[in-house]
Amino acid sequence: MNAQHALDAAFRESWGRIVAALIRRTGNWDLAEECAQEAFVEAVRKWPADGVPQRPIAWLTTVAGNRAIDRLRREARGAQLLEQIGHEADEESMFDEVEEIEDDRLRLIFTCCHPALPMDGRVALTLRSLIGLTTAEIARAFLVPEATVAKRLTRTKSKIAAAGIAYRVPPAHLLPERTAGVLAVLYLMFNEGYSASSGEELIRVGLCDDAIRLARSLRQLMPDEPEVAGALALMLLQHSRRRARLDDNGELVTLEDQERARWDRAEIDEALEMLESALRRGAAGPYQLQAAIAACHARAATAAQIDWPQIAGLYALLEAQMPSPVVRLNRAVAVAMAGDLDAGLAMVDELGTDPRMARYYLLDAARADMLRRRGDPRGAADAYRRALPLAPSEAERRFLRRRITEL
Amino acid sequence: MTIVGTTRFSSDGVMSSDAIEAMNCAFPAWNEKVKDRRLFGRELDLPGTASIVRVRDGEPLVVDGPFAETKEFMAGFSLLDCADLDDAIEVASSSPVAWHHRIEIRPFTQGVRLTDRAAAFGRGDGNPYLLISWMREPRVDLASACDRWRDDLTARGLYVLGGALGGADTATTISTRDGATKLQDGPFTETPEFIAAIDIVDGVDRRQAIKLAATHPFAGTDAIEVRPFYTE
Repeated sequence: MNAQHALDAAFRESWGRIVAALIRRTGNWDLAEECAQEAFVEAVRKWPADGVPQRPIAWLTTVAGNRAIDRLRREARGAQLLEQIGHEADEESMFDEVEEIEDDRLRLIFTCCHPALPMDGRVALTLRSLIGLTTAEIARAFLVPEATVAKRLTRTKSKIAAAGIAYRVPPAHLLPERTAGVLAVLYLMFNEGYSASSGEELIRVGLCDDAIRLARSLRQLMPDEPEVAGALALMLLQHSRRRARLDDNGELVTLEDQERARWDRAEIDEALEMLESALRRGAAGPYQLQAAIAACHARAATAAQIDWPQIAGLYALLEAQMPSPVVRLNRAVAVAMAGDLDAGLAMVDELGTDPRMARYYLLDAARADMLRRRGDPRGAADAYRRALPLAPSEAERRFLRRRITEL
Repeated sequence: MTIVGTTRFSSDGVMSSDAIEAMNCAFPAWNEKVKDRRLFGRELDLPGTASIVRVRDGEPLVVDGPFAETKEFMAGFSLLDCADLDDAIEVASSSPVAWHHRIEIRPFTQGVRLTDRAAAFGRGDGNPYLLISWMREPRVDLASACDRWRDDLTARGLYVLGGALGGADTATTISTRDGATKLQDGPFTETPEFIAAIDIVDGVDRRQAIKLAATHPFAGTDAIEVRPFYTE
């Protein structure tokens, strides 16, 4: 195997594990990251000349562990710590058997995503310590200055230490709530990447892959949590449409008008199977419901075959679990698409009185679409024009203008 | 073991008498449930009873009123002895206070000093005063001066408990609504100043408490708010 290729694979496979295990052993996040970093730098230096070691991950793990021990020996407090953990001599035992290391990754993800941490810090720390993105890469992915990310990371790590956030998988009674918290971080990461398009925004698009990878590991580590499967299925279903979201001119294409042949069938099949077995457990949470809605679109061979009554029903269930005006708006759209335009419009009109929706352009866009379907082009055009100044991006404004001319 | 100081804040919104009664009824059960972790707690007198003490060019300047003119205010204080933040969150979020108000949790990062007077304070005795150090920038350079100040007050039998708190970045604010715990990163008040230390003194009257505050090392650089605890 080519050294660069082996390095990339080893990095993806083991960065998070090495960092996670070193944090548990030393309690020192900076030391863990720096030693993992040094191990990879060493690999970059040695592998091309000496050849890729037979067990690359074990090699990296040992080097990182040795570096950690060297550093700790140099500091008085570190020496004390080493004595405490009783591993003065035996370098290899800095890491123990595989299961423990798997648990470490879970400890790490739950700690990074602790709800007492600032949200931007949770996301940055997860990307840094589990995926191994550098500060500069995170900064580019979130379109913020590097110094901002550096500050977020420092601040988040110092809160973990000073406020006493334990490095552990939460106890059973906290697990459902905290798992939802981890999934929220991953889904935010995914959406951040998904809202970016392509080309120069490739790093942002990479966030989708990172989020999916983390969700995959989480699912491996917690196979009995249906919401974890639900969140992964949801991300895969959205991700499967990435090549159809924009047309050749870079314009946004609505779900209905997307060229279905461009959807990633393998991802859809994987997601549908996963979702089905999760739903069979009988307690569908918000991620499973959202995935089930996305699945209705994925299953339909053409836009005309979408099962809108089913989608409307799923949105009703979702609204009962997480009441929000945006969910209600989506439900209204599904109701209208299922054939009951009047009921859909009535729901949209009612939402129009909600102050939270006052600046939400999709409300007027949805109303416009319903009016158009009801044969009221004048009303539709008015509604599109009201939506126009509220649309946040140029692509969305172009889309609305196109709709007006199509009327 | 992390020792965490919990400061309890309440809004000035009017609570119905039913809500107050429900809260009061639930207190004994909560006290019993968390007694191993909540060493003690007391209610403060209203913010209107506060004074702010500064010393500039050797001259003490005293003005009336609480330091932060916010709608919500510090209404009480609890000292928790918890294994970690989750443990402290559990204690705070199960408090009846959290049903209507918000609770801010902050660690005593340098440890907390407890004197012989602490037990009486916990029983609700005496006429204790809370000295709150408000500042804009952390002042680690004054840490040992603060320690000496506490040593001196302890030797004079006036010190109850206190110490330096972790910065605003270490705070977590908690409330419980409809049975769900809401956590928020950061302190309760969004003022440019943050609470850097709290010290409780007793065995003095109001005038003397203000004089003690003027000897606090932070009085020379920042501001000390002096608030009496509520007494029957």
